Amino acid sequence: MNDRKRKVVVVPCSGIGKTYGSVSREAAYEVTEDLRPADTQLVALSLLVLGDEETRAAVADSLVVTIDGCKLACATKMVQESGGTVARNFAVLDAFRRHREFKPQGIAELNEGGQKLAHALAEEVTAVVDNLSGNGGGKENA
Amino acid sequence: MPDLPKKKVGIIACSGEELPEGNVTRLAALKVLEQLRPADTVTICLPLFLAGGEGDRAFARFYPTVAVDGCDKRCAARATEMYSGKPAASVVVSDLLTGDELGQIEGSRTLNEAGRKAAEITAERVASLVDELLGKPAGRPVEAVVEPAEASEPEGEEAVVATCSCGSGIPVQKVAVNGRAVTLIALPAIFQQFHQAGKAPGDGTAHELLEVVKIYNPIPDEEEEAYREALEREYAAFYEKQEVPA
Repeated sequence: MNDRKRKVVVVPCSGIGKTYGSVSREAAYEVTEDLRPADTQLVALSLLVLGDEETRAAVADSLVVTIDGCKLACATKMVQESGGTVARNFAVLDAFRRHREFKPQGIAELNEGGQKLAHALAEEVTAVVDNLSGNGGGKENA
Repeated sequence: MPDLPKKKVGIIACSGEELPEGNVTRLAALKVLEQLRPADTVTICLPLFLAGGEGDRAFARFYPTVAVDGCDKRCAARATEMYSGKPAASVVVSDLLTGDELGQIEGSRTLNEAGRKAAEITAERVASLVDELLGKPAGRPVEAVVEPAEASEPEGEEAVVATCSCGSGIPVQKVAVNGRAVTLIALPAIFQQFHQAGKAPGDGTAHELLEVVKIYNPIPDEEEEAYREALEREYAAFYEKQEVPA
């Protein structure tokens, strides 16, 4: 298996009830669309919940980074349930504790604090993606 | 089904990250929850049916539920039916907007104008379904605007209700059955209803309780007697507390 040629799958929880879920979603978009589009693939959590075969196969065959908005860790649990390997889990709450200067608000639309927190988290995720994909830009080990 | 205090409608959006229509479902659901029908609706994150507990999986058995999907894979509707209960109604954005002259919906991350309009139309449709399910007049005005959710630290202690991260809040209670702790969904509400109906503890009441509890909780046939005894004991304790003068 050559993981270095595979895209890293990013799975956010996208929780709909609190602002942290929106932060997870925005951070995932920033990584997969802006920062490392060539090295990453965004996977919809709802497809994993449904048990979609194609999505399960993509997850089971890849290194996965999950981003969870609360301690229930839905994204991480669903990836594990689907036979995937969670190379690294990020918790938005932990990111918030590291960046208390950013106060996220809003679900449908994140405020500036939420956007900044998502950006900070996206940079942390990107460092892990670099490490996993062998880009040499990683700042930490998965 | 008993008339339990559940006069709210559950809204479950697929929130699919890969398609613009997934974002439409998310924004439409939030508009209903926060602006159009905040007093009449609750939500739950779809993955909690698998990642959560019994209280989460009981969501669609407790609330009549509207599933909101972005595409014909219908993840929200199908997963809800598989793991919780059959939705009372279902909306698929791609079907709802057939023939509309909105233009191409774009922006799984940030919707374009057509996408925002699609979210408005979808939200109105969901709100009308909520009204139908609750038997309320159609076309009611907007109820209220909920303040944006603020960041806060999670509570450390165990909650008395099976709230998900979205605060769905289905009441649960742990009882001892055959020496093990069992979580029973809706039990506090059922006890409250029985007390309000003037039902005193006793064998007949315990049998009635068991029948109502079985609607929301799977109870193996061979354990019914143990559950009945547990319910009789717990209801007696509940009843005694209610009867104590303040």
